[in-house]
Amino acid sequence: MIDGESRMWKKLSDALGRNEYYLLWLKDAWPYLTGALLLSILQIATMAVAGNPWGISGAITNWGAWTIEALGGSVEHWYYFSSESARAVLDRGILQDPVSIRNFGIIAGALFSVLIASSFKLKKIRTGKQVTAAVLGGLLMGYGMRVALGCNIGAFYSGISVLSLAGWVYGVFLLLGAIVGGKLLVRFFM
Amino acid sequence: MQERVLDCLGEPCPVPLVKAQRALEDLEAGDILIVQIDHSCAMKSLPEWARDAGHNVEIEEIDNGEWEVVIEKS
Repeated sequence: MIDGESRMWKKLSDALGRNEYYLLWLKDAWPYLTGALLLSILQIATMAVAGNPWGISGAITNWGAWTIEALGGSVEHWYYFSSESARAVLDRGILQDPVSIRNFGIIAGALFSVLIASSFKLKKIRTGKQVTAAVLGGLLMGYGMRVALGCNIGAFYSGISVLSLAGWVYGVFLLLGAIVGGKLLVRFFM
Repeated sequence: MQERVLDCLGEPCPVPLVKAQRALEDLEAGDILIVQIDHSCAMKSLPEWARDAGHNVEIEEIDNGEWEVVIEKS
């Protein structure tokens, strides 16, 4: 019985693995144009529903504040969280924060897409260099996204999509940073 | 004819691409470079670059989320 069942699943997954629409839509990467069009349409939808342009890192900063407060600390006197609107978001909590909920959705969606493409893999850390690069990169990104008041989604992508000049300025320096960062990566991490 | 395996498992984009470009410089025409990757974004960038550079490229799925990009230098 168990054997028959697992044979059936194997047959089904083999058949699915050869199906051209499975390969086209779920297995292989979509063309850049398809991705760009879908991102544009969906970010308009999320702006209409959540009331704010698409952003990611602002919520991650709030996750930090919620963590500190859950551990008994307080961010009351931190300049970043001192405004009324920032306080209101923190007081409402993570489940009432559309940006956090959307971030959970992005993580769940990304997981679903790799699972359905059967590309899920837990990667081992292989060298100390990878750890150094990840920690350094995370710290720089975290610091940068706060002093710039947004990451490449909130400040760059959404900035441009709502016709803000700031988004274009961000984009120019993002490009310059990427060029310098790319050179440093090749020089020191390879 | 020489065959070389380049282990890029665990390396994110663009590290596999740069490493493959460097490794390919040391090879002669007709030699084979097998690049092992597990970062899906390198699955796009690496074959795309190699085909643009005129090499023959084949991708083999080894396991879930693990691929070998086989490049024959032209």
